[in-house]
Amino acid sequence: MDLQTLILSLQRYWADCGCIVQQPLDLEVGAGTMHPESFLRALGPEPYRVAFVQPSRRPADARYGENPFRLGRHLQLQVILKPSPDDVQELYLESLRALGIDPAVHDIRFEEDNWESPTLGAWGVGWQVLLDGMEITQFTYFQQAGGIDLAPISAELTYGLERIAMFLQRKDSIYDIEWGGGVSYGEVRLAEEREASVYGFEVADVEMLRRHFEDWESEAQRCLEHDPPLVIPALEATLKTSHLFNLLDARGAVSVTERVGLIARVRRNAVATARAYLEQRESVGFPLGSELTGGGEVV
Amino acid sequence: MATFLLEIRTEEIPAAALPGARRQIAELFGARLAEGGFSDLPIKALSTSRRLAVVIDDLPTRQPDRSEDLTGPPVRAAFAADGSPTPAGEGFARKVGLPLDEVGRVETPKGEYLAATVVHKGRATPEILAEMIPEIVAALRFPKMMRWGDGSHQFVRPVHGVVALLDDELVPFEIFGVASGRSTVGHRVHAPESFELVTAGRYGAAMAERSVMVDPNDRRTQLETLAEELAENAGAKVHPDPGLIAEHVELVEWPGLVAGAFEARYLDLPPEVVVTTLRHHQKCLVLEDADGGLQPGFIAVIDRRDDPEGLVRQGNEWVIGARLADAGFFFAEDCRRPLAEIVQGLERLEFHRVLGSLEDKAARVGELAAVLADGAAGPDELRSAARLAKADLLTHMVGEFPELQGVMGGHYLRLENADDALWSAVRDHYLPVGFDGPVPDSVLGRLLGVADRLDTVAGLFAVGERPSGSKDPFGLRRAAQGAVKIVAESGWDLDLAHAVDAAAAVVAEHAEGDREELAAAVTAFVADRVRRWLTDVVGVSGDTADAVMAAGWSDLPGAVARAEALETVRSSSTFRSLALAFKRVRNITDGQPSAEVDPEVFEQTEEHELHEATREFGCALHGLLPERRVEEAFTAMEPLADILERFFVEVLVMCDDERIRDNRIALLKELGRNFMNLADLSKLQVEGGDH
Repeated sequence: MDLQTLILSLQRYWADCGCIVQQPLDLEVGAGTMHPESFLRALGPEPYRVAFVQPSRRPADARYGENPFRLGRHLQLQVILKPSPDDVQELYLESLRALGIDPAVHDIRFEEDNWESPTLGAWGVGWQVLLDGMEITQFTYFQQAGGIDLAPISAELTYGLERIAMFLQRKDSIYDIEWGGGVSYGEVRLAEEREASVYGFEVADVEMLRRHFEDWESEAQRCLEHDPPLVIPALEATLKTSHLFNLLDARGAVSVTERVGLIARVRRNAVATARAYLEQRESVGFPLGSELTGGGEVV
Repeated sequence: MATFLLEIRTEEIPAAALPGARRQIAELFGARLAEGGFSDLPIKALSTSRRLAVVIDDLPTRQPDRSEDLTGPPVRAAFAADGSPTPAGEGFARKVGLPLDEVGRVETPKGEYLAATVVHKGRATPEILAEMIPEIVAALRFPKMMRWGDGSHQFVRPVHGVVALLDDELVPFEIFGVASGRSTVGHRVHAPESFELVTAGRYGAAMAERSVMVDPNDRRTQLETLAEELAENAGAKVHPDPGLIAEHVELVEWPGLVAGAFEARYLDLPPEVVVTTLRHHQKCLVLEDADGGLQPGFIAVIDRRDDPEGLVRQGNEWVIGARLADAGFFFAEDCRRPLAEIVQGLERLEFHRVLGSLEDKAARVGELAAVLADGAAGPDELRSAARLAKADLLTHMVGEFPELQGVMGGHYLRLENADDALWSAVRDHYLPVGFDGPVPDSVLGRLLGVADRLDTVAGLFAVGERPSGSKDPFGLRRAAQGAVKIVAESGWDLDLAHAVDAAAAVVAEHAEGDREELAAAVTAFVADRVRRWLTDVVGVSGDTADAVMAAGWSDLPGAVARAEALETVRSSSTFRSLALAFKRVRNITDGQPSAEVDPEVFEQTEEHELHEATREFGCALHGLLPERRVEEAFTAMEPLADILERFFVEVLVMCDDERIRDNRIALLKELGRNFMNLADLSKLQVEGGDH
């Protein structure tokens, strides 16, 4: 199964399960969890089901396109089911069938792997899902986001798309994956990986990055101080500081102690944004409802 | 008698949480049932990755009746003078449920009282269980709890079903919004259908028919047997790995195994890299030949009976091939540049905001190691070794596999044809971890190991990062323990207290407070670890450790020998008497000035006797201690017991004549100094010690 069929199959499957299929956030983020459809929708009582692909940038993981298993930007497909339905594991296993993986003839394991995002003030518990020894999905029950205890609880499924494609296609290099229509992953993305590595490790202007970190940090605060607070602009400005931090980190410009301080600064705005979002939704009466819908129902 | 079953069916429970959960649930049931009058029941706690269960055989179906003897009011208060019942008498009769004239009487020293035996009928066991179980389940604690769905319940993972049966009778209750019933499911792949359990006693068999092995011990046996069979078929042995097996036991419902292979070329990688990839990352069992050499194969544990299409084996082989290729990529990258070049980057790695980079740390470690080496190795050589020891932190391999720090540095240096002494020291300098595992083989490895740890402890103490209570974020206790173990086990004649001083001196420029306070704090911290070594590893009692350490611990192997010897002899009556006498010696002499003993001033034979014995003992110590013949030294102490006892009976030390008194104190002081070469016996807690 090529990469695009994999994406289309998962989107079709989760749409049939009652998810709206959203589009990627058009900003640089390290993970799908930073998408407002995940981070913000997890807050408050409103039920929600959504699936989207999120290109996820981790400059420090880039390898100049030379390592066959590592990327500075990879694709996640994330599914949020809020509240987590009783049959969420079965729904997930069924999604593997949509990819041509028959759980009846494979070894599928749910091994403890808890998730934490210090920059988002968020954590959850869950598993990494292993298929024949290969980690294919991160499965998390969000417990807290933006420092706020969650109820209802969202289940978050994150599929690592390149890995799954590599495994399904039995390729020895990410760049050999077939994307679709006879075009390989390498033909689409290799040049970008090389350039992003050179930029992230060697070229990025540290002083400029630091300056912009400050700029976007105060911009986020300005959005939050606006009356009424501008929630999405505040989140977007905060996500920019998160990405700038990742770039500084990849560039080797962040010492261990400074690291703690910068993360705390990103988190402060993420937490304030989460509160502002919750107040905003409450002020309009939680339009998506606050009645719990129970498992399996379409939202 | 009946069999009870409780099964709580959940989503996959973390492997690390299950042994504790079984222990807790068995203890809670035992305690609660005992309160209810059921005792000595065989409580079996069972579990798989998806269920926690309790089976209790031979449970009475009713709670035993319990009789209670009640004493009422005095007879004279129960009846009025005319013999008519008083309200007090009638009240008691009502309470025990008898007509007043049938209530018994009991004779007590205070007179005659109304008395009765009340029998509380036992309740039906299911009724009691139904009350007890929700409380027991609510009392279970897990390292990390979670909520799910609407967020109203909290447990280790979402709960999907509860079975509670006493034989074939349902025990009705509700937990986590789930009503107890008799339905459960089998293995997720092999028998996912829901089914009803007919009776509790059939639980194990019914689950086994559905590919669920509920007893962890059975799963362990099956895993070990299958692993041996598979290895034998492959002409190899399984590298013993009880920790990994124990984890897999908790990760599955039905343990199966597949054997797979990887390309033999990966055996050219350092074996630790292959083993780390297989064991730590893929949780596979490692295969080796008769001599312990790695084989290009592995055994993966799976949660199913079989691998019908060979896909599970293929998948695992592909993943392991990919992971080994990844490791091979890092290894090749690292080998492109010599470590001496890579090490230049150390100044970019921060050790601590105030204490500087790892380059700064390596310089301090080299300087300290030179002090510890006492001329056996030069400062330049040691500083260079200290830098190279940290160089692998800059390699791709250690970036990816942090657990291989040291090991990789050793390999890279060996491949660069470095001296055996150097590469083995770099490899071993992180050993041991706390008190666990072997210490470095080589002198250089031990020097770096101790200097590195003392620098870490002293440095972080200097900048105020001191452990408190359970908080020890920098692992300083473990670091100090490692240093203590290296010195104690290698028999190194290092002056440990001096070494600690030197470490404090090297970091003193960063200290927030004054340097003496720093040295004292680090010394006390290390002393505490030495005490722990004596009590936890050498195995002496706490007061033995205190007695020995009060006499000095700077020569650690010597202190260990003294502690072992004292622990052996202290239970004899001679040493009890010596300990008591020495407490008196300390009471009399503490705070008194030292002076020369003048035998001319003695008045009593006991004084002469003690003086002579003290001198003899002193001479004996002089000959024995340099050779660490401490057992003999303690033996040489023994004759003093009787002599001291006679002395204290016959001689009044605090006599009126100042000259005689001071001379007697001087004599006891000299004796005390000799004793204190071995131990401060006054620290021993012995019977009669309060006098």
